[in-house]
Amino acid sequence: MAHTTRTRELAAGAVPTPAAPGRVLSADSALDRLWHLLTSMKLALVLILALAALSLVGTLLMQMPAGVADDPQARATWLAGVRPKYGGWTDVMDRLQFFTMFTSAWLRGLGALLAASLVACTVQRIPGTWRTMRRPHVAVGPAFFEHAPQHEAMTFHGAPDEVLPAVRGVFSRHHYRTLVEDDGTVHLYFDRNRWAPWAGLVAHVSIVVILAGAMVGSMFGFRDSNFMLAEGSTSAIPSKAGATITLNSFQDTYSPSNGAPLDYVSDVTVKRDGQVVAQQQVRVNQPLQFENVTFYQSFFGPAADVTAKDAAGNTLFSGGVPLAWTSDNGGNKVGTFALPGQNLTAWVVATTGVDDPSVKPGQVGIELYKADTGAAVVQQSIDQGAPTTVDGLTFTFDRESKYTGLSIASDPGAPLVWLGCLLLVLGFVVRLYVPYRRIWGRMVTRPDGGTSVSIAAVGRRDSGFDAEFTSLVTDIRQAATGPAGS
Amino acid sequence: MGKLAEYAFVAGTLSTLLALVGYVFYALSGVRAARMAAAGVPMSTGGMGTVGFTSGPRTTSIGHYATLLGWLGLIVLGASLVFRTIATGHGPFSNMYEFSIAFAFGILGAYYWFERKYHQRVLGLLALPVALALLGYAATVPASIEPLVPALQNNMLLTVHVATAIVAYGSFTIAFAAALLYLVQPEGGRWGLPKPELLDEIAYRAIVVGFPFLTLTVVLGALWANVAWGTYWSWDPKETASLVTWLLYGAYLHARVVRGWRGNKAAILLLAGFGATLLTYFGNLFFGGLHSYAGLG
Ligand code: HEM
Repeated sequence: MAHTTRTRELAAGAVPTPAAPGRVLSADSALDRLWHLLTSMKLALVLILALAALSLVGTLLMQMPAGVADDPQARATWLAGVRPKYGGWTDVMDRLQFFTMFTSAWLRGLGALLAASLVACTVQRIPGTWRTMRRPHVAVGPAFFEHAPQHEAMTFHGAPDEVLPAVRGVFSRHHYRTLVEDDGTVHLYFDRNRWAPWAGLVAHVSIVVILAGAMVGSMFGFRDSNFMLAEGSTSAIPSKAGATITLNSFQDTYSPSNGAPLDYVSDVTVKRDGQVVAQQQVRVNQPLQFENVTFYQSFFGPAADVTAKDAAGNTLFSGGVPLAWTSDNGGNKVGTFALPGQNLTAWVVATTGVDDPSVKPGQVGIELYKADTGAAVVQQSIDQGAPTTVDGLTFTFDRESKYTGLSIASDPGAPLVWLGCLLLVLGFVVRLYVPYRRIWGRMVTRPDGGTSVSIAAVGRRDSGFDAEFTSLVTDIRQAATGPAGS
Repeated sequence: MGKLAEYAFVAGTLSTLLALVGYVFYALSGVRAARMAAAGVPMSTGGMGTVGFTSGPRTTSIGHYATLLGWLGLIVLGASLVFRTIATGHGPFSNMYEFSIAFAFGILGAYYWFERKYHQRVLGLLALPVALALLGYAATVPASIEPLVPALQNNMLLTVHVATAIVAYGSFTIAFAAALLYLVQPEGGRWGLPKPELLDEIAYRAIVVGFPFLTLTVVLGALWANVAWGTYWSWDPKETASLVTWLLYGAYLHARVVRGWRGNKAAILLLAGFGATLLTYFGNLFFGGLHSYAGLG
């Protein structure tokens, strides 16, 4: 394989060596081709643009909320909702996964290809980057010094061994290192910030690190955005045996001027095997970290404290019921709890003030359904504080309270993502802000005993580098024609 | 302080407007001088060899006044942002009024950075209108100071997030202006506009400055989202729009070193990138999502 790096090609002023022609198509050459494809900058460019185009489509089109896509019924409802907007295109776009763009086969496929290309590019560039840093190509032919974008020829009276220290001195004052090779002609090589190209590699690798972190997170992490807890209630923490979380109190405050929410705070206690291990106020921007699980304040609402006893007086349920759903007629807040051993599910219905004759303010409605069949059993409104018998069980509506909605997440990929982000920023900052410079030089003894010095560089069209080059030339002229040269 | 911020906003806007008028006269005077020079009328060239137009002494002094006014606009708008920050107790991130002024300030800052380096006032002719459009937009949205909704109560992080965003967006505006001038000229240059090679360099420099800042902006946004919502990335339209922007400028940086993509295609990528920047910026207006600010109504 002939993988000459770009910089070496330029340094030598040579043309890239073409791959050996006429080879029979074998598995080996198929791999070669794949490698060439993956390391091609053109492919990288096309991939990046394709990703940009798909992301743009995903940005401009409405996207299905999480959970809707996997539920055929919810999906149909959602599609019906956007049909007026997108008309006949709706089904085409749905078929093309345009409404789930960011989890689509398109995006995953292109992302995987990009990751492969990033890895290939980096692997391919490491040896060359190492070589140019440790053993750069010092000797280049004379033609280079006439055709390079920046070049200058100078003559001095002094002999080469007098001029060389002066030249070295100038470059070292400009923070360049100098390498010398002598094969009759003195070949010179100067570079500055020779480690900077590694930053570019680090930045590219860090994109893979971020993608890997995201994948680890989606494979091994979990997330529950709907973890509800009423005031005074305790609940087991998912994936943490023996650990519970209790909501001691919940508080929400609003701006007196415009009614916008100012703060909402859940005061919670985490216990493990009965021992308190954490107590904290959880608010937006102030999550609670418990081992590898994080609790975020997400939403909140009203709750009803309810007690249910069977005919013998045994307590079946006692606690806060989050009224987190809305009744079909839209007017009521409803919540649900289970009655163990009774094959019954209870719903609690509270009025939100909308005119509803069945439930009055100060009351809640209790609705019982068969747990197995879902068949309605009974429906009755009960007054606050008054134990009331419903279907042979005694229900008490103790008081109104509040519930908090927390997001629970455990993301083992997050450290990788943050490491990748750090490297990404550092990598690009160094790559783009630290100037990496390389200059070649050539010294020959003139017939009159003097020295001609040529220096040349292949810096991009860049007035900053042009100015630096000019100032180097001026300084060399001055230094080499000083005491030593004259 | 709130009132002071508003006065400074109005004064800064007027100063920028006058600066733009100055740049227009500068350009007209430059074109006239170029035409006279072409007709054989002897002209002295202006002090700066690098000034785009063949400029007479009059052109040069108009240019100086325009630059002074623009600097004044930059400083007064900066003062307005400082006063506003003191009045609200947080950085200019809570509504479109604050952020539009910050964006305009970023454009002016980036422009004067490049004017000092490259002395190409024609770029101001394109960059200043963008800044003025944002200032005009700011004048139409509510400027009242409201308490921060809980999600935005992360002063330090969000202030840095906005600061890095305006550096990035400011530089992208300069790259946009340079790319536009690049594309309207045929090969070799025309109308005494800056040479295409110089415009290419200015645009590249602008992206070199802006790209790491955009990267940092997106990363800081992810950090904030993680603290506030528990996910560093939720494919919110504002996030995906910033991803598009980031990818387009990344593509541009590659295009400059890929044969067949340098020049016009790279310049077109810069226009697309600026389009994506504006989409990201105005995104909250029609996307909603986590970034929908209180001040939008
Ligand atoms: C999302 C993906 C990518 C981003 C954001 C990105 C970004 C960048 C940036 C900002 C530079 C610096 C350019 C400059 O200094 O002018 C760069 C250079 C480079 N990229 Fe990428 N890149 C990506 C993917 C790739 C891939 C897949 C390849 C593999 C073919 C690649 C190969 C290179 C090479 C070889 C350079 C060096 C060019 C030079 O030294 O001038 N990049 N990239």
